[in-house]
Amino acid sequence: MAKRILIIDDDPDFVAGIKSILDTAGFEVDVAYDPKTGQKELQSQTYDLLLLDIMMGRGAEGVMIARKLRKDAKLREMPVLIITGMREQIAFLFPGEPIHPRFVEVDELVEKPVEPTMLIEKVNALIQAAEVRKALTQ
Amino acid sequence: MHSKPKILIIDDEEVVLDSCIQILGGESFQVSTALNGSDGLRLVQELQPDLVIVDLKMPGISGFEVLDRLEEIDPTIVMIVITGFATVSSAVDAMKKGAYDFLPKPFSPEEFRIIIRRGLEKRKLILETIMLRHEKELLREHFAHIVSHELKAPLNAVQQNIFALEFELSGVLNEDQKEKLVRIKVRMEDLLKIIDSWLRIISVNIEELEKNFSPIQMTTPIYKALENIETIATRKNVEIVSSFGVKLHPVWGDVLSLSEAFVNIIGNAIQYSRDGSKVIVKAEENGTDILVTIKDFGIGIPKEDLPHIFEGFFRVKSGQAAPTGHGIGLVVSRQIIEAHSGSITVESETGTGTAFYIRLPKYFIEKSNKS
Repeated sequence: MAKRILIIDDDPDFVAGIKSILDTAGFEVDVAYDPKTGQKELQSQTYDLLLLDIMMGRGAEGVMIARKLRKDAKLREMPVLIITGMREQIAFLFPGEPIHPRFVEVDELVEKPVEPTMLIEKVNALIQAAEVRKALTQ
Repeated sequence: MHSKPKILIIDDEEVVLDSCIQILGGESFQVSTALNGSDGLRLVQELQPDLVIVDLKMPGISGFEVLDRLEEIDPTIVMIVITGFATVSSAVDAMKKGAYDFLPKPFSPEEFRIIIRRGLEKRKLILETIMLRHEKELLREHFAHIVSHELKAPLNAVQQNIFALEFELSGVLNEDQKEKLVRIKVRMEDLLKIIDSWLRIISVNIEELEKNFSPIQMTTPIYKALENIETIATRKNVEIVSSFGVKLHPVWGDVLSLSEAFVNIIGNAIQYSRDGSKVIVKAEENGTDILVTIKDFGIGIPKEDLPHIFEGFFRVKSGQAAPTGHGIGLVVSRQIIEAHSGSITVESETGTGTAFYIRLPKYFIEKSNKS
């Protein structure tokens, strides 16, 4: 069964580029173009991974979503791949450093634009790690 | 100063106050007076004058004390002293306390008018400078916003779609078509890199950096930087030869921002190195400094470019190209190093190579008392 991914990002052109790569790689992809719709989708459907933009709407609304997810018993274990164009805010990003105090281990962060092979690698790795975690707790 | 300039005169002699009012009479100024220092200071709070004239010799609070308090209340107020005992030393003392000018008694109406005019001109300049500084800050913020949102977001979307196209058409495109896509991708990547560097230049906030300072080993940020650019060095087949003095004296700084500076400088050295050559990274004690040397044996920097490689694009004179050739990263690096009270210098010869010298003062305990 194809893995399901939700993208929450307010730039439709950017989403088109990301979505078609994931489509080609065999994922089933849904899109929400604003945080509100995104949260509704997350509640009503089941996804294997969330691709999340940070700067949306009035500011860093992506961070708010990430925070809410961590408090949600049902969605807490869903991996989140953060995709951001805000290079200046993460300029001091070094391998092995925590991404941001607000994010947790199941999160990863990549910069826009994302190379297709890197994107697919990260997505697969995050989904697999989540499945392993799930199998262990059962 | 759109409304009438406000002038306050503090003098214990009523005759002086009256004649001053007479000289300044008419519609152009709003003149207030006080017969002693404490009344004068009260009026300052109330009126917020542009210019205050203070007699140095008064009963009660002395003129010097009034100057001190005025400076505390509002350092942008222009202060002029009048003095009956027109000795050079009292005038000099008054100037040291921040007075803009002094007028010895007795003075002619013309002398008084001239000094008032100059004082108000000074006040205007002070206010304009404050306003310009504020505008510059706003502009910087707006510029950062425009660059990141209006410029970067569309480019990201374009590049992402090119990635998608290339990915989906990988089995269909012929070599010629693939090459075209590569050209588009590479140019797009260059553009995005330049925007990132600009964003870094405008968003390096030196005051923010200083908040994270602590005594550190200079080798810590260097190791971090080396770890970060190892892959680039391997890809370019450049060997990094590092040698660090044993147990170096600590420096006062922030590991992350310093490693960013070293990533930029070492990265540059690798980028301009020849395939198979070496980059030397050395850290040692040098007098009161810790000296880091980063030396490559690459193409070198042309003499005419050398004085400009650390300049921000703001400072580049018209007609001169921005320092894109050797990376805007060097500008950010310089800002970071200078925020650490350090310095960066460069020696280079075309065809032979380039050496960067980074000096940071050794950290001693007394220094922390300053903050």
